[in-house]
Amino acid sequence: MTDPIKKKICMLGAFAVGKTSLIKRYVEDLFSEKYHTTIGVKVDKKTVKVDDRTVDLILWDLAGKNGISEMRTTYLRGAAGYLLVVDKTRVNTLDVAMEMHKMAQDMLGKVPCILILNKWDLEGKWDIDEAAIGDLRNSGWYTIKTSAKTGMSVDQAFETLARKLIE
Amino acid sequence: MNDTNESRQGKDPVRSDDELANLRMLLLSPEQEEIARLRQRLDDPRIRADELSRVLAEAIVIRASTDKKLAQALLPTIEETIKDSVKKDPKFLADAIFPVIGPAMRKAIAESIRSMFQSMNETLSYAFSWKGLKWRLESIQTGKPFAEIVLMHTLIYSVEQVFLVHRETGLVLQHVATTSAGIKDVDMVSGMLTAIQDFVHDSFGASENQILQSLHVGEYSIWVEQGPQVALAAVIQGNPPEELRGKLEDAVEKIEFQQSRVLQEFKGDVTPFATSRYHLESCLVQAKLGMKATGAARQSAAAATQPARTHSKPGLLWLIIGAGLVCLVILILGIIFSLTGR
Repeated sequence: MTDPIKKKICMLGAFAVGKTSLIKRYVEDLFSEKYHTTIGVKVDKKTVKVDDRTVDLILWDLAGKNGISEMRTTYLRGAAGYLLVVDKTRVNTLDVAMEMHKMAQDMLGKVPCILILNKWDLEGKWDIDEAAIGDLRNSGWYTIKTSAKTGMSVDQAFETLARKLIE
Repeated sequence: MNDTNESRQGKDPVRSDDELANLRMLLLSPEQEEIARLRQRLDDPRIRADELSRVLAEAIVIRASTDKKLAQALLPTIEETIKDSVKKDPKFLADAIFPVIGPAMRKAIAESIRSMFQSMNETLSYAFSWKGLKWRLESIQTGKPFAEIVLMHTLIYSVEQVFLVHRETGLVLQHVATTSAGIKDVDMVSGMLTAIQDFVHDSFGASENQILQSLHVGEYSIWVEQGPQVALAAVIQGNPPEELRGKLEDAVEKIEFQQSRVLQEFKGDVTPFATSRYHLESCLVQAKLGMKATGAARQSAAAATQPARTHSKPGLLWLIIGAGLVCLVILILGIIFSLTGR
């Protein structure tokens, strides 16, 4: 059996979009969340099987920030792909995600990325509407609706990204 | 008819040549001018040089990307040029290379001084203690310098784990450990270590070349040595000598050299790095109390004491003891004299 392929990926998003809760049950974690407030990142690992190959996704979960000016972009260095997480009940988190996307692209070039629409099980006043999501899909975005509570599609998000990374 | 033709040809061969030339000129005059112009261009070296200069840069780029023949062809010329440059004015080339040599020299000197200070510190702290006296005796008996004896008795360390990390991504390329060391998930640990280094680098305004070299917690240290593409992180328990850093640097240099192409093309497959495990394992050294360092570290421990030899503190203590003894002798003699004199 060959060694697994290792890839560094990042998870980006605005404050309190639910990044960490989303992955908590689905990744191997070793470090506590206090690292988000101290150094601004926590590293987890998610092992995924793509066809007959094993891919170890070393996930750098960056602390949520509400603007790119607060982001520590150094942590993005060398990432093979990233997940952008937005809170479906707060449409401004989508704007933040797009800003972060632009910054990540400037740094990394066109690497695989997936837009995750989290908290899909909730309803809210500032919901992102289906039309907006349709527009995103049409402009080439790969989007996945997830929920930390129900566990909806979380594994699928990782598998899809892993597949894109080794193509 | 034949006659007239022959007679015509026979009469004026020169004239028919002239006629041919005239005919040529009438028909081909523009082409002849063109050819004359082209010939002039070919023959005039200035014009040829000018034209070549326009395509030279592009040609070099294209050739260089096709094969290595251009580099090979230029090699003797470049060597000659460098020789001549140095002959003409060595300062020019020295200035050009300095930015590279400067940091390397500084690093080497700083480490060398650190080694000296370490052995000096150890020596000084024991100079005036009972243990120190005992060791001085040992030093006289064995003929070894005092500093060496001190280091031998105090140095206890053990390199427990060594990580080989791809700097840009923080991914672990290889990991070795003494079996007794507990190994948590190496990928995550290495990722966090890289994140911490990025954090410290960003937060404390270090310049591009300065990197986090060691972390200490309790009796553990993590020493990090970096090359252009990889970093070596050694987890050490105890009090390691500065020479160990040289060993880590050596391993990094060898790995960078042997794996340079693989590193550039690294996209997540770590199997090619299995051949570098040997270099990592050679860093798993230990030294126990009272004994010289085991295995490959033996040489480095011996080397460690070389600089100490010239810097061990002179026998100030012996001077004081000697002076005390002399006073004692004088006192005793004085007493004897006064007794016998009475």
